[in-house]
Amino acid sequence: MDKSINHNLPLIMHIDLNSCFATIEQQANPLLRGKAIAIAAYDSPGGCIVSPSIEAKTLGITVGTTVKQARLIKPDIIILLPDPDKYRHVNHQFNRIFSSYTPCVTPLSVDESVLDFTHMPNLNQSLIGIGKDIKLRFKKEIGEWISCSIGIGPNRFLAKLAANLKKPDGLDLIDFRNLKTIYQKVKLTDLNGINHRFEARLNAQAIYTPMDFFNANINTLEKQVFKSICGKYWYFRLRGWEVDDIALRRQSFGQTYSLGKKTKDKPILLAILMKLCEKMGRRLRTSNYQAKGIWLSLLYDDYSYWHKSHTFSSYFFTTQDLYQKSILIFNSQPQPKVVKRISVSCFNLSKQDQACQLSLWQDKQNRQISLSHSLDKLNDKFGEFSVIWATMINTDNLAIDRISFGKN
Amino acid sequence: MHQKINQKVSVITVFDQKKSLVMPIKIKWQGKVHPIKKLGYHHHYRQGRDLIHIFSVANQSLAFRLRLNSTNLHWLLEEVSDGQVN
Repeated sequence: MDKSINHNLPLIMHIDLNSCFATIEQQANPLLRGKAIAIAAYDSPGGCIVSPSIEAKTLGITVGTTVKQARLIKPDIIILLPDPDKYRHVNHQFNRIFSSYTPCVTPLSVDESVLDFTHMPNLNQSLIGIGKDIKLRFKKEIGEWISCSIGIGPNRFLAKLAANLKKPDGLDLIDFRNLKTIYQKVKLTDLNGINHRFEARLNAQAIYTPMDFFNANINTLEKQVFKSICGKYWYFRLRGWEVDDIALRRQSFGQTYSLGKKTKDKPILLAILMKLCEKMGRRLRTSNYQAKGIWLSLLYDDYSYWHKSHTFSSYFFTTQDLYQKSILIFNSQPQPKVVKRISVSCFNLSKQDQACQLSLWQDKQNRQISLSHSLDKLNDKFGEFSVIWATMINTDNLAIDRISFGKN
Repeated sequence: MHQKINQKVSVITVFDQKKSLVMPIKIKWQGKVHPIKKLGYHHHYRQGRDLIHIFSVANQSLAFRLRLNSTNLHWLLEEVSDGQVN
């Protein structure tokens, strides 16, 4: 018996909704079922596909394919724009179902969650039974077209690997009994966290298969392959020990916008920047955070890239402050060029109720804060962007909501 | 073909007490009555204080996206689709 392998019961369940956004659209519209459809961030030829349906995937259309490429593969593919409210609602239904089995649910993204049964009392049902039950409840309570892949393992890594073994609609378990058999069947890049670059690094040390990786010495992994503590983590991860159960603290809030019409016109770019700052500021304030730093990045039409960040002396959270500080950075770009994409984010966060240095101009600042709270209340009552800053006029169709995760 | 409509329509709904399910069963749009055979998905979201219900429904040939504003109880036909490419 290999004592380095985790022989505990597999009590981690990884659930992954198959082709999430596309499946939800096929659930909502029965006339789309069984057809190649794809959800794209934009339906213009350069738009990026974010979720192809299972039928589209079988034709080779994957996440990241452009609309133009997808139409070359399948001329009658149906391209739809995302419907974030619908996806959020489905995500809430998932979480409601998951929390009826265990309180330890970690959402990884809008379509992936990890359920931890480690601290649950002895269950009358096996985890395989719970997995089957969850699949049935998805079909009964959300919709008959919804399917998911479920993996069960002693740690998050093996649970994810088990969930990826059969798609769509899989249910697999990996434990100390079948661990080596599974490693013999998969490739290095099938392991979550190993991309082609890591594969090349492993190949350089004569590690060509997951079994070679598994059999590698802990010192080889730590001192030669990864040259950091990551090597030790991989040694344990591959043997079913939990090293990924880390609660990450929020580090930043950010917004990105790819311009439909590329431009170097400063008033247009500043209007977009204002809207991005308003959206970022709303999320920052709703989460009760304040920031001290701003980062701005611009991708130009010639594919050159410029970015800059700055940390300020005091905390801020109003849209006005976020915008003014972003402009300071925007104006410092060395040469104005045609912009293709704007990203802005704020970092160095602290909770708003935390004690901080008061400003000498406190009165003016208090008025700005009151104004910001009043505007937020109006937008809460009448809907997003009911009251906007004058700079944002004519930006109704720009930087609209596309991403469904991270917002209630 | 997917087409944005955004027109007010007349809708007949039923509430099934046993299944706790509300479902539109007939839509009158442009003078024509469209019977509804299937509720694909029902979700809701808030727009300010208004609670908006979206019913994605279909019959054999057309799929409709209906919006009910629960504040004024008005129905809006947002989209129609025949499940074919544009």
